[in-house]
Amino acid sequence: MITNQYPDKVYFSNIPVGKTPIVCRIMAIMLTIIFMQATVVLAQTTARHPVSGKVTSPDGQGLPGVSIIIKGTTNGVASDVEGNYTIEAANTDVLVVSYIGFVTQEVTVGTRTQLNVGLKEDQKMLNEVVVTGYGELRKVDVPGAQTTISSKSIEKTVNTTVEQAIQGRAPGVYVTQNTGAPGGGISVNIRGINSINGSNEPLYVIDGVQIQVDNSTSGSNPLATLNPSDIESMDILQGPSATAIYGSRATNGVVLITTKRGKAGDVRINYSYLYSLQKPPKALEVMNMREYAQMDNEYKALNGGAVREDFLDPSILGEGTNWQKELFNNAPMNKHQLSLSGGSEKTTYYLSGEYLNQQGVALGSGFDRGSVRLNLDNQARKWLNLGANISFAQTNEQISTTQYDIINNAIQLSPAIAVRNIDGSYGGGEVRTNPDGSTSDAERFTPPNPIGLANLVTNEIRRRRILGGLNATIKITEGLEFRTSFNGDFGFSNGNNFVPTYQFGFQRNATSRLTVRDDFSSYWNWNQLLQYTRTFGKHRFTLMGSHESQETTYRATTAYRENFPTNEIIDLNAGGAANQTNGGGQNSWGMESYLGRLNYNYGDRYILQANFRADGSANFGAGNKWGYFPSISGAWRVSEESFFNVPFISDLRLRYETGLTGSQGNSGPIYARLTLYPTEWGNGFLPANYPNANFQWEETKTNNVGINLGFLENRFQIEADYYVKNTDNLIIESSLPWYMGTTGAGNITAPIVNVGALQNKGWSFSLNSVNINKGSLRWESNLNISHFKPKITKLYTESSSIARNAPSWYMSPQWSQRSEVGETPWYFFGYIEDGIFESVAEAEASARPADNNGDPYPVDEDNIWIGDVKYRDISGPNGVPDGIITADDQTNIGSPWPQYFGGLTNSFSYKGIDLSILLTGTFGNDVYNYVRMRNSNPNGINLGQNMFKETLNYAKIGVDAEGNPMLENPGTDIPRMTGSVNNNYGRHTTKYVEDGSFVRVKNITVSYNFPAALLARQKFIKGARVGVSAQNLYTFTKYTGYDPEVGTYVGPNMDNSTSPIGVDTGRYPLTSIYSFNIGIDF
Amino acid sequence: MINKYIFAGALVTITIFSGCKEDFLERPPLDTLTTDIFYNTDAQVLASTAPLYNVVWKSYHDQASFHLGDVRGGTTWYPWGTTGVRENVLFRTTGVTQSSLDAYQAFYNVIGQSNMAIYNINKFAGENVSEAVKNQAIAEARFMRATAYSYLVMNFGEVPIITNNVEEMGNADIVRHTIPSIWEFVTRDYLFAAENLPLTALEAGRLTKWSAEGMLARTYLTRAGVGHPDGTRDQASLDKAKEYAERVINMGGKQLVRPYENLFKYPYDNNSESLFELEWTTTGTNYAASNTQTSQITPFAEIAVNNDGWGGSFGATYWMLSLYDGLIDKGTSPTSEDDGVKAGFTVDQRLKASYMLPGFQYPEITVKNAFGPNKAGDKLTVPDPGTSDLSQAYIKKYVVGNELNGVPASQQRYPNNNYMLRLAEMYLIYVEATIGNAESTTDQTAINYFNEIRNRAGLPNLVGPIRMNRTWNADPTVYKDDVFEERAKEFAMEGITWYDLVRIQYYLPEKAYAIINNQDRGGYVAKPNRFPNPTGWTFTKTSWFADRNAVVNSGNFYLQIPSVEISQAPNLNSPAIDYDFGG
Repeated sequence: MITNQYPDKVYFSNIPVGKTPIVCRIMAIMLTIIFMQATVVLAQTTARHPVSGKVTSPDGQGLPGVSIIIKGTTNGVASDVEGNYTIEAANTDVLVVSYIGFVTQEVTVGTRTQLNVGLKEDQKMLNEVVVTGYGELRKVDVPGAQTTISSKSIEKTVNTTVEQAIQGRAPGVYVTQNTGAPGGGISVNIRGINSINGSNEPLYVIDGVQIQVDNSTSGSNPLATLNPSDIESMDILQGPSATAIYGSRATNGVVLITTKRGKAGDVRINYSYLYSLQKPPKALEVMNMREYAQMDNEYKALNGGAVREDFLDPSILGEGTNWQKELFNNAPMNKHQLSLSGGSEKTTYYLSGEYLNQQGVALGSGFDRGSVRLNLDNQARKWLNLGANISFAQTNEQISTTQYDIINNAIQLSPAIAVRNIDGSYGGGEVRTNPDGSTSDAERFTPPNPIGLANLVTNEIRRRRILGGLNATIKITEGLEFRTSFNGDFGFSNGNNFVPTYQFGFQRNATSRLTVRDDFSSYWNWNQLLQYTRTFGKHRFTLMGSHESQETTYRATTAYRENFPTNEIIDLNAGGAANQTNGGGQNSWGMESYLGRLNYNYGDRYILQANFRADGSANFGAGNKWGYFPSISGAWRVSEESFFNVPFISDLRLRYETGLTGSQGNSGPIYARLTLYPTEWGNGFLPANYPNANFQWEETKTNNVGINLGFLENRFQIEADYYVKNTDNLIIESSLPWYMGTTGAGNITAPIVNVGALQNKGWSFSLNSVNINKGSLRWESNLNISHFKPKITKLYTESSSIARNAPSWYMSPQWSQRSEVGETPWYFFGYIEDGIFESVAEAEASARPADNNGDPYPVDEDNIWIGDVKYRDISGPNGVPDGIITADDQTNIGSPWPQYFGGLTNSFSYKGIDLSILLTGTFGNDVYNYVRMRNSNPNGINLGQNMFKETLNYAKIGVDAEGNPMLENPGTDIPRMTGSVNNNYGRHTTKYVEDGSFVRVKNITVSYNFPAALLARQKFIKGARVGVSAQNLYTFTKYTGYDPEVGTYVGPNMDNSTSPIGVDTGRYPLTSIYSFNIGIDF
Repeated sequence: MINKYIFAGALVTITIFSGCKEDFLERPPLDTLTTDIFYNTDAQVLASTAPLYNVVWKSYHDQASFHLGDVRGGTTWYPWGTTGVRENVLFRTTGVTQSSLDAYQAFYNVIGQSNMAIYNINKFAGENVSEAVKNQAIAEARFMRATAYSYLVMNFGEVPIITNNVEEMGNADIVRHTIPSIWEFVTRDYLFAAENLPLTALEAGRLTKWSAEGMLARTYLTRAGVGHPDGTRDQASLDKAKEYAERVINMGGKQLVRPYENLFKYPYDNNSESLFELEWTTTGTNYAASNTQTSQITPFAEIAVNNDGWGGSFGATYWMLSLYDGLIDKGTSPTSEDDGVKAGFTVDQRLKASYMLPGFQYPEITVKNAFGPNKAGDKLTVPDPGTSDLSQAYIKKYVVGNELNGVPASQQRYPNNNYMLRLAEMYLIYVEATIGNAESTTDQTAINYFNEIRNRAGLPNLVGPIRMNRTWNADPTVYKDDVFEERAKEFAMEGITWYDLVRIQYYLPEKAYAIINNQDRGGYVAKPNRFPNPTGWTFTKTSWFADRNAVVNSGNFYLQIPSVEISQAPNLNSPAIDYDFGG
């Protein structure tokens, strides 16, 4: 016998729950005890016999996954893929057979051993349960706006990360991919724009773990560690009655993610494999070597300088290097997924494992993930239910492509440079000889060889994450339940960025360097909840009260060394000690909340719900810590009234909700921090920020009216919502003028303030229809379309507008977006461009940029000339056009927000074949094509840079018959080429504002389920299906860049408060993916 | 069943008591200090003004300092378009020119951080802080603030004066102040600094009374012309400039570093000639606290620490080279077309210390990768331009190579300091203040001081008179400005010449415009007469190079306040007012 090596005391005191408050620790210990007991509980035995049968739908097909439970117990099984089930039952037992969308049937077992059940479709879906904040509600009891996406539809598209599955499937939810890079971030906006501080991302709640996504500066995605295949459903809470229960974190909506759980019955084993091939994007048209040489020669002819020796006769040159072709390749993606689920009446489990490997279409990018999940449920006692879920995931992301701006480099690099030189080394800008013996070193300004960089640099982030929780539910008396849950999220990430020595011509790195960054983050949330449900007569009510505390801590360590003797061993130990550095950083946040909900239903006709939440957050100073968020909502099911008698309307429900949600921004605005700077005399300290002691909650008040309509036995269902959201005390970093010392090195960051108010009006509409349901052919459609319109209503600043300026090193000239009262938030701020001057007379008659005295620059070749940009004079210091072009002539030149967006799904099924087509679309938004601006400046040729082919048509100035200067190619919109300075590329103008509308064939999937009859010939495989799909197959758009879906791209080293919105800065494009998948059930 | 109630009861009890501790919702930063717990000792107060010597100047120092101070001033040029530098060569800067943005931001960062230092020291410094240290720290902050305002007013003209960033935050009524009142503000700050800074530096490189008095000399000299576009400078201010210059020369305990080139040979930081420097350090390889300008001006990647020599397109202007005695030989023809035909040479040692001509050898710079005539490990020999018709007299001043006496350095992280004020300027300020409103002087002290500077550079004595003609003329026998030209040679690449032109523009705008418009800022090739070891150079203007001259007038002399700033602070469009000094 083994002696007790771990006396209880020692064991429990070592439970690794971190530095949580003592009460929390006790809780964890108690749960552990309960859980250990639970595993030894023996099943009760009574006189039972096996009963088996088949559950079928009205069309005679077997229904898989139907729950068959012995009434009055929690014992039950689920039917298999063909609808068959077997259960042990006593003669007196009553089987409760239920399945979502069908009328629940109760059948007394009697002496029968074979019991087939035909379920009828439940048109009213009365008992369908939906997940909502802090619990589940019958769908009919939910008075607010909420959308559910099931695993069935998630599995139709190729999703490497969870948010990708939402796009086009939920009304009111605007999803844009920030970057097409594998594992990259996505922006999800529920009901438009409610905040202006950069993040409009919803709160994600994954089995109770609350995750606030804030796209990090690396542009990668914190949700990328989740395996989408583990998701049972995603519930998107939109209206205030559902979101208000999350109070201060819910202004941007809530996405509840529920993972799959086991069902009692046979072990179900499922294996699936997915192979995808991702295609390169359609290349942007840049000049080939002949065109490049010709333009270089033309520049020299105009502005002086000797023609390059190899460019003497451009016509004999080849195409040169096609850098985009070199960079983008077909890239495979593989995914293996294995899951096991099942269990006894007492204990059910779901166990899954996944391995995903995705190479990026651009060199230097890639993503892989391995994850395991175990979800357990145990009925320990009649009155005690225990649950546990834990998942572990590791991801590895290659981010060189985005971090080293490799795509932009590929667009800009000269076609005259070879990928590799004859000796095998990577090519780069060189000193070129001219025929006169002189040399040209223009290529000194070319970017580094992107292929070389992508192949040589190592830049990866490895993340490990444990996400999980324990919960216990105690049934105290009939209808009264107490539930406590402890959930945690622990993440560790390691970033390695190694730049070896290299030489690409002028571009040379002589010092190899390695930066390592380790982050550790932890989150815990402990919730206690009491719920009472009671039905008497036609009254049914549920009362819930809860307390919750949560905490996050974060800690980072960075280290840097250089001069590595080889490029093989990438570890700090292998680097030189000189110039080594290290750094740290940590923070913590905590919140405590009290919340409650009352849900009342009278005869399924009148439904009323009230929520209240009080949040106390560490982000605020004394007096402002607590925020209160009430909401109230009601629904009237008119169709249930006795007076309602419209035969073709089967369901009519009117809804109204109103409530308050909030946002608490990030931690720290109330403190005046100091930054350390080294000085000659030791460490020096400067104020880092202006503190704001009065910092307070951002509050959003929402009014929502909705209607649900069902026609012809709900064959057609319409759901529509209209809402008005008023957000007050908008949180943002104040946009102080630079004279307050707020920009540049050593600046003082402007305070985080409550700056103003915003109104957001919108509607969403969805239509579900069963178009054909005849025999074995079924055609269903889902159409959803949404609209939102945000408008700034108040600014509490002294100035009439606030600006969001991208750093000038990132976008040059400096890019601004603005918010001002009466306008859409963050409209593009720039000049209106009216083509280019085609004659001297036109230039003389037009407003022109002016000197310090307000005098327009003269019309001559050295100043403003034919071929220069004509800006529109719209204003002046007094608000009226003043005949000169100044900063006053900037205006709203575009909006990043769409007017309409939506999705259309059509699914066809015929016998075992399913076909589904998903179209997504966005209409009315503008995209600022910065890539085009940067690459259509003909003067770039003088810096050895390539550009878009359209640049060849730059304004060419000749002389007419009378010897007067004239434009040789009227109608061109590319300004002239000039060695001296003019203003043609110094301003952001309407010319680069493009319509970002698009319709995308997002996905076409054909799948085939092998018929049961065929599979019945063997016992091993119970179900099998194969499918092929094409994703992002085609995009209908007028946008000229790679991809109109720009999102709020976060570039390297950019933070949310300054990153441009709706601007294409050369992001990683989304490309088409062709997939094959196979799934087998054992 | 009893179990159940006990268990549930226990859980509910825990719940009731789990309202976690009070401080659960109090979370001050864990990784940074906060102002309320700092400024408690002398050392902490001094640590709060130490970064005012480096990081806050960064955005200006990195590139704008020489793009404005030298490129705009005409000593240094850059041939290529499409970058912001060319706009400074030709005076075509706009509200989006990068150097304007960088300079404006940096100066207001200096002001903001200086104001915050004053504010926080007054608010938080307790009884453990000595009065002397408190006063010194505030004096340092006011000195820095004055320096930033003097640069602001000379680049942008009328700008707003901010003195308390906490109180003035969000005030939309802030307007620009007039040029004379900004100069008065600057003077008052320097006067306070002169009274409160110590006679000797507490730590090497920190400001002293003499730093402030030196700045007062410069300030009064410049102020003398403010508000006098008629050409007559204010005599009282001239006298003050002369007085302060003389005090610093005689009482400041400073002396000239000899030979001249040692001023810029690393290590040279905080030497006997220095009165005020930006104090860069590579400790911790912090980007903001390191000298990054070196990477921008080092002409060859092969001599930089890590390939970061990006200054190969910068060089002395033809005008600058023409100032060095004998360098551009006129040959036999009197017309300017023949300039530089015959190989010329100069004994002025400042040329080699400021700019590189082909064939110059620099034993203090080791070549890391072979290029031109150099093998790896060689001492630098500047390459021959060969048959090229466009070359550069590359920047040498502040180009310190890669060895740095063993002090750690890496790409864009150099440790060498930059002079903001050195003793040599006091001599030349004395001379200029002596000439005052006259056209020349034969004052012996002035001539002696002038020759101190010339002699150190290896030049013979100038007998006198020292001339400063008030009207520019193309004929060198009619027009001469010995002081301006001497200053250009002495301070080339120290970011000063442009501000000398602003000083002239205050009282003789047409002269300032004429000087600039006649500076040759175009392409040329400098050819050695033999290679290696040349004994002279010819200078041939590049025939195809257009745009040799800037065209400057009142409309483009000053920089424009950045467009972004005007857009976010439209109050800057309002007319400037006099600053209210409150009686």
